[in-house]
Amino acid sequence: MSNLLTLDAVSWTVEKQAILSNISFNVAQGDILGIIGPNGAGKTSLLKCLLNQTKNWQGGIKLKNKSISHYKPHELAQTFALVVQKSPPIFELKVYDVVRMGLLPYKALFARDTDIDKKEIMLALEKVGLATSENKFFNTLSGGEQQRVLIAKALVQKAKILVLDEPTNHLDIFYQHQILQLVKALNITVIMTIHDLNLAAQYCTRLVLLNKGRLVSDNTVDKALNPETLSKVFGLPCFRDNVQQFPDSKLAEVPRVHFYPNSNTDSSLPTGKN
Amino acid sequence: MNLFRNIKGRNSWVFFGLLLLTVFSITTAITFGPAKITSLDILQCVVSECATPMHDMVIWQIRVPRVLVGLVAGMGLACAGAILQNVTRNPLADPYLFGIISGAGLGATIATLVLSEEQMLALPLAAFLGALFSVIIVFGIATLLRNMNHLLLTGVAVSFMLGSISHFILYLGDPFATNRVIFWLMGSLTRVEMFHFYLISAMVVITLITIFALHRQIDALLLGDESAASLGVNVDKLRIILLALCAAVTATIVAYCGGIGFVGLMIPHIVRQLVGVTTMPLIVGSALVGGCFLVWVDVLARSALSTVEIPIGIITSAIGSIFFLAIMYRTRKTG
Repeated sequence: MSNLLTLDAVSWTVEKQAILSNISFNVAQGDILGIIGPNGAGKTSLLKCLLNQTKNWQGGIKLKNKSISHYKPHELAQTFALVVQKSPPIFELKVYDVVRMGLLPYKALFARDTDIDKKEIMLALEKVGLATSENKFFNTLSGGEQQRVLIAKALVQKAKILVLDEPTNHLDIFYQHQILQLVKALNITVIMTIHDLNLAAQYCTRLVLLNKGRLVSDNTVDKALNPETLSKVFGLPCFRDNVQQFPDSKLAEVPRVHFYPNSNTDSSLPTGKN
Repeated sequence: MNLFRNIKGRNSWVFFGLLLLTVFSITTAITFGPAKITSLDILQCVVSECATPMHDMVIWQIRVPRVLVGLVAGMGLACAGAILQNVTRNPLADPYLFGIISGAGLGATIATLVLSEEQMLALPLAAFLGALFSVIIVFGIATLLRNMNHLLLTGVAVSFMLGSISHFILYLGDPFATNRVIFWLMGSLTRVEMFHFYLISAMVVITLITIFALHRQIDALLLGDESAASLGVNVDKLRIILLALCAAVTATIVAYCGGIGFVGLMIPHIVRQLVGVTTMPLIVGSALVGGCFLVWVDVLARSALSTVEIPIGIITSAIGSIFFLAIMYRTRKTG
C-alpha cells in the first residue's frame, strides 16, 4: 500500500523542553493507526504537529509526498478531519449546526448552503445512526452520541484521514465499542490516540508506542503489544494472552494485555516509567 | 430573500416579525416627545409638505435623526456584543469590557481640560481617540501575553486603570467640566444629527458585511479553537479582525452617543432564545432587536419625565441589571 503520510524525524521543543524527539513513521492508505503511550508521552502533541496546528516543530511531515507546510489551511482541512471534544460548547448548538461545520473547508466567503449540502448533512447523520436527531441540542446528547455527531461532521468534511484524540474517553464499554466499530466501518485512513491498549488491539491495524516524546515502537498490533516493552513504558508488570475477538465467530485472535500493581513498590506511585 | 436562505422554518417568521417591529418602532417613535405630533402629521410630511414649519423642524431635524441614530446605535452595540460572545465563547462578553467606555471617558475628560467652550464640538473626536487608545492598549497587552483568551480580562484591568486616571483628573478639574463629562458618559441621543446616522450606519454595514462573509468561521469557533483550526480557520487572525471591528463600531457609537451599557450584553441573550446560536441568525436578530430596543429606550428617556430627559445609559443599565438578575433566578430555578 502507498504511503499517504510520512513523518521524518519530527521533533518539537517548547521552552528548551523536548515534547517530541525524532519521531519517524509512515501511514498507509487504509491504516487504522493507534498512537499509544502513558500520559505525557506526546500523543496529542504529535497530532498537533500532524495537523500543522503548532509552530516551531522540526523535521518533515509529508502528505502525498508534499510537505504539509506547503498546503493551505483549507486544503489540510479537506484531508484531515479532527474529532475532538475537550469541553462542552458554552452555547446550545444544534446537532445539525455542528455537522454543518464540516462544509467550511469547501465554502468561499459569503457562500450559502445548497440543497446538496443539506442532503449531505442528513446522509452523514444517517450513517452515524442519528438520522432523526438533527434538531436536538448537542449538549443534551450522551458522550457516545456527541462523538458520533463529530464523526458525522468529519464525513461532511470529506476528509481522507480521520484524526481522533482519545475518542473513547469518558465513554462506557458499550459506547467505546460502538464508536470504534463505526470508525472502522467508514473504511478510511484513521489516526487516533487511545489509552485502552486492548481496545487499540481490537480495532487498530498498527500501533505506534510513544514514551517521553520518543518513538518506542511502530509495529503491527501483534508485535507492538510486547509485555516486556509495555512493562518498561508503563512502569507496571504486564502479561499478555490471546483471545478470540468474538466467541461465536472465526475471526483472528486478538492479543490482550493485563497490568498488575507492582508488589515491590507503592502501587499508587509507579516508578518504572520514569 | 437571499439573506435569509440559511435561516430555516420558524426563524423566517421570527425575522419577518422583527422586521415589522422595526418599521413600527421607527414610525411610532417619531410621534413621542414634548411637541405633539401625530402619525398623520408624519405621513403628511413624508408624502407632501409638513403642515407647519415647526412640524418640519421637529420631525426632520430632531425626531428622525434621533430615532435613526438610536436604531443604528442599538444595532451596532447588539451586533458587537453578539460577535464578541461567539468569538470568545463567553456569554458575558460585552464591547465595553475592552475598556472602550473608560478610554472614551478619558479622552472626553482630557478634552474638557485642554479645549475651550467653543471647541467642545471636538469632544466626540477626543472620546473616539480615547476609546481607540484603550483598545490598542488592550490588544497590545494581550499580544504581549501571547494569549487572546486573556483579552477580556486585560480589558477589565485597562478599564479600571483608565477610569482611575479620568476620576483623578476630574477630581482636580473644574466642576462644570466634570458635570459635562459625567453627563456625556451617561449616554444621550439629544444632540445627534443625520451626519452621525450616516457615520454609525456605515460602520454597522461594514460590520454586517464582514460577519456575513465570515459567519462559517465564527460558527466553527463555537466548538473550540482546536476544532476550528482543524477546519482551516486561522483562529488568531480571525479573532483579531473581529475584535478590531467590534472595537471600531463601539468606539464610533460611544463617541457620538456616550456610554450606553448592557445593550451588547443583554440583546444577544434574548435573540439566542428566539433564533439559535449560530452567527447568521444571531447577528441579524441582534441587529433588529438591538435597534428596536434602543429606539424604545430613547422614547422612554424623553417622555418618562415631563420636565427633564433621562440619560439613555441609565435606563439601559437599569433594565440590563434587572434582566440579568432575572436570568440568574431562572437559571437557579431550572438548573
